[in-house]
Amino acid sequence: MMTLVVGGAASGKSEYAEGLVLASACERRIYIATMEPFDDECLRRIEKHRRMRAEKRFKTLECYTDLASVTVQPDSVVLLECMSNLCANEMYSPRGSGDWAAEVILQGVEHLKSQCGDLVVVSNEVFAGGSCYEEGTMAYLRQLAQINRMMAAIADNVCEVACGIPVYYKGREPVG
Amino acid sequence: MIFLFGPLYSGKKEAAMKLLGCDASELAHRAVWDVQDLAAKSGDLPSLVEELARYDVVIATEVGSGVVPVDAEERAAREAAGRLSCLLARRADAVARVFCGIPIVLKGELP
Repeated sequence: MMTLVVGGAASGKSEYAEGLVLASACERRIYIATMEPFDDECLRRIEKHRRMRAEKRFKTLECYTDLASVTVQPDSVVLLECMSNLCANEMYSPRGSGDWAAEVILQGVEHLKSQCGDLVVVSNEVFAGGSCYEEGTMAYLRQLAQINRMMAAIADNVCEVACGIPVYYKGREPVG
Repeated sequence: MIFLFGPLYSGKKEAAMKLLGCDASELAHRAVWDVQDLAAKSGDLPSLVEELARYDVVIATEVGSGVVPVDAEERAAREAAGRLSCLLARRADAVARVFCGIPIVLKGELP
């Protein structure tokens, strides 16, 4: 079962996604962290999310690029967070796939989905604040939007979290 | 308390007046809006929520769904606004998102 959770800044999407993982029947909890610690703000954010996962028995796997190289066990529930970081890493990191980011990431998501019991992917809503940015930003928005649409197509459930409340556009909130 | 949120100029105050059955001057006493702008300056969001919850209707404009700002202060303000909205939604008896003047109920029931 795959669930895509999308939301804007501080929309409560992480907390909601973690709740889905805790409700999964799979007990082996894997967290795939995608944020490369560049500066203090990143480190604080990573620390905040680490605290949120504390005592929830998550095993953290760091994956900044090449999602397809991640292997997990069949009885695991995987939380992949956040697609906006992974997309930026693939596009801009020297180890990334550049213009092929969307294709490479989708292959990674499909590979992950085929291995694990339950998959929850968190992505970012960054598309409703304007439509005119410099070309580099537009290229990023196009790639991330394509990834979001392709993930929504293969996901069983798709929701947007607004003010901590999930709104389902496809499927429904998975139980157990 | 009813919490209304939605994009800029989506008709949130209009919707609030309809819900409360009041005019603009009465709304000024019974509702508070643009609360997203209060979040960054407040060092204590839970207290701010309690303060705001004394109004019948609390209204926030959604500001967190655009490209992440390059400026750190703007980023922090957006984060604080989002966090405040999550807390308000949790505290509220009813929550609705206003789209083109139409309130879509996300929690509880509107009067």
